[in-house]
Amino acid sequence: MDLTVSGAAPERTGTFLVEIERFQGPLDLLLHLIRTQDIDVLDIPIARITDQFLKAIQGLAAHDLDGAGEFLEMAATLVRIKAQMLLPRPSDDDDEDPRAELVRRLLEYEQIREVTHRLRVSEAERGRRFGKGYVPVRPKRPAVEAPLETTWDEVYEAALGVELPIPRDRRHRVTARTVSMEEKAVLILDALKGTTRVEFTRLLEGFAERMHGVMTLLAGLELTRRRLLLLRQTRPFADLWIYRREDEEEGDAATGGGDPFGDGLTEAAEASSLSEDPDMPIPEPDEGAQA
Amino acid sequence: MNPQQIVEAVLFASDAPLTADEIARADETLDEDEVEAALQSLRAEYDDAHRAFEVVELAEGYQILTRSEFASYLERFDNVPRPSKLSGPALETLAIIAYRQPLGRLEVEYIRGVGASGVIRTLQERRLIDVVARGEGLGRPLLYGTTQHFLEHFGFRTLEDLPRPEELPIVLRDRMPLGLDAGEDAEDGRDPQDEADEDDRPPAPDVEGAPESGEERP
Repeated sequence: MDLTVSGAAPERTGTFLVEIERFQGPLDLLLHLIRTQDIDVLDIPIARITDQFLKAIQGLAAHDLDGAGEFLEMAATLVRIKAQMLLPRPSDDDDEDPRAELVRRLLEYEQIREVTHRLRVSEAERGRRFGKGYVPVRPKRPAVEAPLETTWDEVYEAALGVELPIPRDRRHRVTARTVSMEEKAVLILDALKGTTRVEFTRLLEGFAERMHGVMTLLAGLELTRRRLLLLRQTRPFADLWIYRREDEEEGDAATGGGDPFGDGLTEAAEASSLSEDPDMPIPEPDEGAQA
Repeated sequence: MNPQQIVEAVLFASDAPLTADEIARADETLDEDEVEAALQSLRAEYDDAHRAFEVVELAEGYQILTRSEFASYLERFDNVPRPSKLSGPALETLAIIAYRQPLGRLEVEYIRGVGASGVIRTLQERRLIDVVARGEGLGRPLLYGTTQHFLEHFGFRTLEDLPRPEELPIVLRDRMPLGLDAGEDAEDGRDPQDEADEDDRPPAPDVEGAPESGEERP
């Protein structure tokens, strides 16, 4: 695992400034100590290195117990080797130098680091060649992360701007269908009678024409403006949910304190209530839509 | 329709490397040798004509890729398919697995000196490694190996393209006092899993074949 220790002050180990965060693990740190001091890996002054290692990891446990464990294990190994080096050893060949296993691990790790470097180079080279899968450029759609901010007037204007895909052969036919907003308001309120929330698309079931969607949305916004509903959408283009607004939690909900998900959901309700004139009459969109 | 054209059509339409055998399936009249020959002449043709793309040997197969000198033009578009670069720990873990496969998580952790379960999961999700076997040791640990996609990602033809250990400029490799040779031999002769198991688990009643490991690692 990566060692990520925040706020740990760099430790001075002798003349060495060691920032523990930089190291991927105990072997990395150990190699750094050895290589920066021009130490022969095959003859590591274990006492000196152990001291430096211990100093470098001071205070680590307090920050990150998980990552510290790996460093502490290595510290224990170093201390044990240091102790073994002090003991007299029989000089026969069978008995390995106490440092041998550590040296083997260090060399192996260093080798792996070199391979890692080569892999990085290969990856970059390969990344400069492209195969099929290239898609012609399209205008970039910026990732919209900002909360929806709009006014009633803008929504109304946008709703009027919705172009219906009219089949060519029917273009001349004028359909005087009226979908009233009142009707949709009743539909919404009815849907919310037995429940606290309803998904916007549920309200469109059974209505094929787009105007039903537009009018249902307008009705929803209007009821929201009258503080009867809350509209919630977790992000642009996500499902829109309509919530019944309870009178007793009105103050709470208006400030966002009643947010049941607690994750910063966009509140169209607040946005739409920004409309300057609270007494703005319900517009007659039917007229405009057919103009 | 000559063989070369058929091979070209198949390669052109593919978004992944194809082996000569796979290409040969395009037509009953084709065999692997013919495909190989066609590939060679295609390659020569592209080179002679200075095409912006070439036939590249990749992941035990062939794929048409743009030449690298055009990278800067293509990189301007953010919809060009481009796998994200791997992190340092991910590359390090992958390097270990590539050289030592098949091997288990505990051995990876011993070599790196740090935990590896998160990185291994990431590498698996990115299809760079996969479980290739189960070890013999305690709990029959999962053993990992690299995938075809690994070769593709790094532009290797086969695993042989990995840098050879003896090419690596590891300092002091030539001098081997300290009984290192003996140590390494003993290491190689052992099942890696036996060794790995001992690190994390309570000692098994009898661990055969690894007499010195207990005293090497506390």
